[in-house]
Amino acid sequence: MNERRQNLTPEVVRRLTVDPHPWLSCDDCFRLVDQYVELVLDEGALAGEQMPAMRAHLAGCAACREEAQTLLALAASDRGLVANEIDDAQRVLTN
Amino acid sequence: MTAISRSAGSRSVPVVETDDWVARLSTPGPGRDAALRQLHGLLLRAARHQVARMTARNPTASTLGAERIDEIVNQSADDAMVALLGKLSTFEGRSRFTTWAYKFAVLHAAVEVRRHAWVGREIPLEQSAEPWSSGPTPAEYSEAAALSAAITTAIETVLTTHQRQIVIAVLIDDVPIDILADRLGSSRNALYKTLHDARDALRAQLIATGHLPSARSAAAR
Repeated sequence: MNERRQNLTPEVVRRLTVDPHPWLSCDDCFRLVDQYVELVLDEGALAGEQMPAMRAHLAGCAACREEAQTLLALAASDRGLVANEIDDAQRVLTN
Repeated sequence: MTAISRSAGSRSVPVVETDDWVARLSTPGPGRDAALRQLHGLLLRAARHQVARMTARNPTASTLGAERIDEIVNQSADDAMVALLGKLSTFEGRSRFTTWAYKFAVLHAAVEVRRHAWVGREIPLEQSAEPWSSGPTPAEYSEAAALSAAITTAIETVLTTHQRQIVIAVLIDDVPIDILADRLGSSRNALYKTLHDARDALRAQLIATGHLPSARSAAAR
């Protein structure tokens, strides 16, 4: 057995079974991600309801999620948010 | 100063720019030169932030030396500047200009760090998913083992060979999607579509076997 695959972690299960709908491409995610991170900062969890395709894409694409997290941190910093506020926004972004 | 508003649900959220970036960057003269320098500074900040986050979290990326990191940051900011200026006419004011600008540097820096982290590393494309097991308690162990077995079976039986290879590489072996796309002569978009379709197939099978709730039963809970 391949040693790397002896454990199916909860994270791997999540990656494999996350609902990928509504469809959004990586290119469209890039086009919308600045709008989405600001919506997260403005509206919190409501952002995912207003842009469900962005929420679904970030849940399913690790590369886009990694980049969105940095963008959120930069935008939050520009707004003068403090660390715990940024952490809260990051949790919304990745849930 | 420009101030615009966009609708965000039930309330209007003001988006205030400290300067009219598009006009400054589009009008030849000393103002444009100053705007370009200011913009480049923002892109350097964003690229540096992305590289710092990735080197802090990724053991392979953390081996990049300070000199190489500086090269990546500067090259990413330069490349982002070119990309951004080529897309300047598409900025619609749906976010702050600075947030819109940052994303170009973040993307270029992230892709470059991943590329460096995977230089010289082979990516074997696995044909077969083997069973796993996990779970700290007997009950959880049993449930996790059953789900693992069901997922393994689904990967083996409902996915095409191509879907199986991409799913195993990206979702199980943690190969970055852009690195795999580059090695396969494909694109990030194309591989994400493969993952999308594969997840649809896996979820349908797991719902059919009772290992995942259907959308209807999940909504009722």
